[in-house]
Amino acid sequence: MSKKRSTDVLAAARTRGLKDTVATAHVIVCTGSGGVGKTTTAAALAIAAARLGRSTIVLTIDPARRLAQSLGLRSLDNTPRPVKGVEGLDAMMLDMKRTFDEVIDRNAADSQRAERIKDNRFYVQLSDSLAGTQEYMAMEKLHQLHTDGLYDCIVIDTPPTRNALDFLDAPKRMTDFLEGRFLRLFMAPGMVAGKLAGRAAGFGAGLFMKAASRITGAGVLGDLAEFFQSFEGMYDGFKTRAQAVYALLQSPESAFVVVASPETSALREARYFLQRLASEGMPTAGLVVNRVTTSAEDALGDHPPQELLAVATHLDEGDSEQRAVAELLRLAVDAGEAVNREQRTIASSLHGVDPRALIEVPLLSGDVTDVEGLERLARYLLTA
Amino acid sequence: MDAADLFETRLLVVTGKGGVGKSTAAAALALAGTRSGRRTCLVEVEGRQTMSRLFQTEPWDFTERQFRPGLHGLSIDPEASLVEYLDMFYGAKRISKLVVGSTAVEFATTAAPGIKDVLLIGKVKELERRRKADGRFAFDLIVVDAPPTGRIVKFLRAPEATTELVNVGPIRSQAQSLADMLLDPARTHLQLVTLLEEMPVTETVESAGALRDLGCTVGPLLVNRVLPERFDDLGRKALTDDLEPPDLRKVLGKAGLEVDVDAATALRELGLAHLSQVDLQRQMREELAANLDLPTIELPYVYAEHFLDPEIRVLADVLEARTTGSKGR
Repeated sequence: MSKKRSTDVLAAARTRGLKDTVATAHVIVCTGSGGVGKTTTAAALAIAAARLGRSTIVLTIDPARRLAQSLGLRSLDNTPRPVKGVEGLDAMMLDMKRTFDEVIDRNAADSQRAERIKDNRFYVQLSDSLAGTQEYMAMEKLHQLHTDGLYDCIVIDTPPTRNALDFLDAPKRMTDFLEGRFLRLFMAPGMVAGKLAGRAAGFGAGLFMKAASRITGAGVLGDLAEFFQSFEGMYDGFKTRAQAVYALLQSPESAFVVVASPETSALREARYFLQRLASEGMPTAGLVVNRVTTSAEDALGDHPPQELLAVATHLDEGDSEQRAVAELLRLAVDAGEAVNREQRTIASSLHGVDPRALIEVPLLSGDVTDVEGLERLARYLLTA
Repeated sequence: MDAADLFETRLLVVTGKGGVGKSTAAAALALAGTRSGRRTCLVEVEGRQTMSRLFQTEPWDFTERQFRPGLHGLSIDPEASLVEYLDMFYGAKRISKLVVGSTAVEFATTAAPGIKDVLLIGKVKELERRRKADGRFAFDLIVVDAPPTGRIVKFLRAPEATTELVNVGPIRSQAQSLADMLLDPARTHLQLVTLLEEMPVTETVESAGALRDLGCTVGPLLVNRVLPERFDDLGRKALTDDLEPPDLRKVLGKAGLEVDVDAATALRELGLAHLSQVDLQRQMREELAANLDLPTIELPYVYAEHFLDPEIRVLADVLEARTTGSKGR
């Protein structure tokens, strides 16, 4: 794509906001790398949807409880809580352990089997440290909220993953794992009896098990096998739901909002994500770049930086008021440079991708920590 | 503890909330350590190639490379750690071959909780214990760019969690020795990085508490991207009380710069926004002082399109000045 066309794409994207998205989308997924204001953006979009009279819930998975802070709440648990000051908006923090418990309770063949799973010594560890569990549980919760049908709009904030793409891969990873030969190894009879070596026939499994049990110590693999076997009968359900959520995310009812900051690393991740969404056929609503520097440069545009700095040097000789003005001029020059650098970074990082809507949120003075601040942010997000 | 005690332990585990510049702080720490004459190793554990990009080198892998005089770097991944571990303890080439690209890695990273982190930390311990032929340690300083604060407790707790699951066997003793290393105040410091902003400060205070509860020793706090205060008290007073846009225009006009009211207004607002950022910084500094009993080292805001070597050097200069000068702040 030519440079010219790429610039045009961004210019067009800058004229679009997220107004339609909050008015119509059933599921809004906010994604991006850590520390870019993802949670705050999700909360602001949820408030905007609720203000339009849509029954809305915002779901966060972040263990740092940032949404709670943003909404001025002390803590959030696995139950939807009404947000004070915003009619029709609930907020919920995903409690990993509790969600996993609920999944087991709902899907185990009987309560006895559910209890057996929850009593296993691997369960507690597994339910919150299994790679991809957070992402998977977010999917489970999204599926539940969607099928319960209590909300017009579900806004979800993705986990602080190492890589924002993990969220998209979670359902597939889960199904791959469930279909994987590793798991089948454990599902083989004989494993539970603790007779590991040589029993599981084929594909060098015996050797592997022997090696594995030498490393982990005897007995551990047996327990692990029992744990996986107690899930028997539930695997199909896991898989079906994972696929259903994937289909939901691909449907036009959903909208992805990618969030970034004006730093190269965050923008690079945003770019990958935009490309990935396009290739997966998932609907992109827009890219939000938070904390963009603003400057008085536009207003002082007629005067080149050299002139401003020369005047500043002259004013430095004066009284305290004049020295303050000198410093203001230097501040304006520095801010102008920062703006230019940021704009170059944004343009070069996004070269060749179409974010549909591009919203640059200026660095607001102070953090957004209350509903009022979120409303202010929401206004930027809607009107571009 | 004192800010000058930054390099008191040989192992520094650097963490912070996402977006605070944890990796650049880790890079600056390693560079400052190298300059103080320490043979230094910078370790990346999340395979993102952040460091090779920062220092503009070839991509890093599991074998440490010396990319600056006295400064080595490597990127640890769990699979390579597992292979090395098997080779080291069992001399089991056959097993290693079976492991690579096989279900065993799935086992290590998916099914067995925390094993992945145990493997990563295991490699760090190997670096920490490694000795040269003359009996001295191979590295005087090891800086680990660790997972962010949201995951750091789970990461550090992995060895202990493993000992709870596994009662006997080599994995247990390995895990135990890792826990010993991480909790030994003479061997390991946790290095928190924060910004002077509300959420990072809150998360830093919480994390410091959680890390101490875990038994870890938290080293001096690194405060990143601190804005310089541009106005002294007189300047601040002039800006808030005396320099309304018409006054501003008059002062500028006298100095030979004609601007319209809009420009004067924008200029004044820029100044006021700076003051409010500075006020927030002061407030956050007080908050940290009130809630966190740690010496702090402030690093200046350095903007760069690509945060490369020269910018890290600016940060390393500050760290060097704080650690090699006279003790005290």
